[in-house]
Amino acid sequence: MRRVLLLSPETLPYTRWVEALRRKRYAVEIFSTIEEAGEKVLFNLPDLLLVAEALKPDLVHDLVFALKCDLSLATLPVILIIEPEKLHHIQWQNYFVDDFLCEGASEEEVVSRVELAFVRSERLADNNPLTGLPGNTSILRKIEEVIRSEESWAVGYVDLDNFKPFNDAYGFSRGDEVIRMLARILVTTVDLYAGPRGFVGHIGGDDFVFVVPLEVAEKMSREIIQKFDQLIINFVDPEDRERGCLVTTDRQGVLCRMPWPSVSIAIVPVWKDRFHHYGEVAAIAAQLKHYVKRVPGSIYLVDRRK
Amino acid sequence: MLDDKRREVKKKLRTLEGLPTLPPIVAKLTRMIGDETVSAPQIAAVIEKDQVLTSKVLRLVNSAFYGFPRRISTVSNAIVLLGFNVIRTLVITASIFEMMQSRDVGLWEHSLGVAMVSGLLARRLGLDQPEEVATAGLLHDLGKVVERATLLEEYRNIQQMVNEREIPWREAEAEILHMDHAEMGGYLLNRWNLPERLIEPVSFHHEVHRARNFPVETAVVQMADLLVRARGFGFAGDPWVPEPEEKTLKLVPLSREDLSALWPELEVRFYELRFFTEEIREALSAKSAST
Repeated sequence: MRRVLLLSPETLPYTRWVEALRRKRYAVEIFSTIEEAGEKVLFNLPDLLLVAEALKPDLVHDLVFALKCDLSLATLPVILIIEPEKLHHIQWQNYFVDDFLCEGASEEEVVSRVELAFVRSERLADNNPLTGLPGNTSILRKIEEVIRSEESWAVGYVDLDNFKPFNDAYGFSRGDEVIRMLARILVTTVDLYAGPRGFVGHIGGDDFVFVVPLEVAEKMSREIIQKFDQLIINFVDPEDRERGCLVTTDRQGVLCRMPWPSVSIAIVPVWKDRFHHYGEVAAIAAQLKHYVKRVPGSIYLVDRRK
Repeated sequence: MLDDKRREVKKKLRTLEGLPTLPPIVAKLTRMIGDETVSAPQIAAVIEKDQVLTSKVLRLVNSAFYGFPRRISTVSNAIVLLGFNVIRTLVITASIFEMMQSRDVGLWEHSLGVAMVSGLLARRLGLDQPEEVATAGLLHDLGKVVERATLLEEYRNIQQMVNEREIPWREAEAEILHMDHAEMGGYLLNRWNLPERLIEPVSFHHEVHRARNFPVETAVVQMADLLVRARGFGFAGDPWVPEPEEKTLKLVPLSREDLSALWPELEVRFYELRFFTEEIREALSAKSAST
């Protein structure tokens, strides 16, 4: 059964909405304070969230932001309930909700919106199932957007060195954990440096892309590297940690010592009229990668050509 | 043996929601979070001083949603992965102890002291991740917070028994709850998917001989616990200082000379902690005076 969480006063018409949704076989819970709901939402994520903006506008905004951005829950449908007279004040580009309902909407409308939200989130299946991050279609769209932008941006291509031996030594499920860990570091660090202007996408496997304003790219890359190197230790077995390396077999079946994964970042600066399409950015990134890969350990490299 | 009391307590633990935090800590963090000049590491440093918030942050990052259970054992690593906005939401929505007793502050001070000494001893012994041992020290009495928050009747009975019969808190717990705070804390951390490296020191800080995988870390927490009690920093529920186990003395060899060399450094750190705990105490008494 799909879990719907309604954050609104426990009064009419909301109590009617709950009844109508329950008749449609949704498991519905209602909370009348954001403070009370916040912890429950985080520890036990619902499948859909309906939030009344009027409860506490700042807190509602923070909660939605924490869920949709920080947790990369792009597929969690969030519907904002809003007073009709406030509609023209809302800046939708800063809000990260998927739809809205006006206070006083009819029960039929509420049920339809909820059903539509679920259908829509299934249709937008570009997100990577492992990390929840936007996939190739969204990445392509984002890069084309910055190519045409008036401002200067950095497109960062991120991947792991020595990921395969790690997977071989510990199994793919531990490998998946490391991918998720890298995804989380990228999301939180990009958010810290660029806020809602930043973007993180997951190409697949251990390949990621981020987009941030050019001036923060280097400092941010150093921080990503430092955080990754600090956290990867938690995913290495104590014996190997002591030994300082992984022991695994290479393609010829010979035992060899391998370092644990490190992160490399190739940064392509994008300013107005430098590129005309996506492929040119990717080509430069591929050249940078070639150099970066030959250096052991975590590293970033910026394309300095004009 | 069937034991209904243990079963009842465990059921309470399984359905446990929202452990409360000391109100001044939540107020301080809320203020810091609203201030744009305050950085994430500064906020981490305050969260690391509260056993309830620390356990919440670790519980969230080790939950199934993130997909790496039992990996993350320190607040600073958790914040890197959770992000500022999630931490903010956790803090803003944290529940607080509505009725405060000076005992609650005493237990919190005790835990803070044990965290500090555990970290220091771990560093002395050259352990791999001293920060993690400090976290285990901070969480070692989480079971007592649970007793105070959700088993209030039993908590009062234990308290009364400790005072009247002059027995250690653990003994009273065994009689009334049929389990002790160490087992309760360990049980919770395990349910919350926290790393084994934290669970063992919490579960066995009174029984180091039972720790299988992390005996040194466990012994460090035991030693820290009794050093803090002996120093008289905070209040752990009873005024007695237990003997260290044989095994602890082997794993954390501290001679009289070592101790007198270590003590000045410890005193400096106790002194620093006192600044923080005094601030929290003052905020509390200001609040109770105004209401």
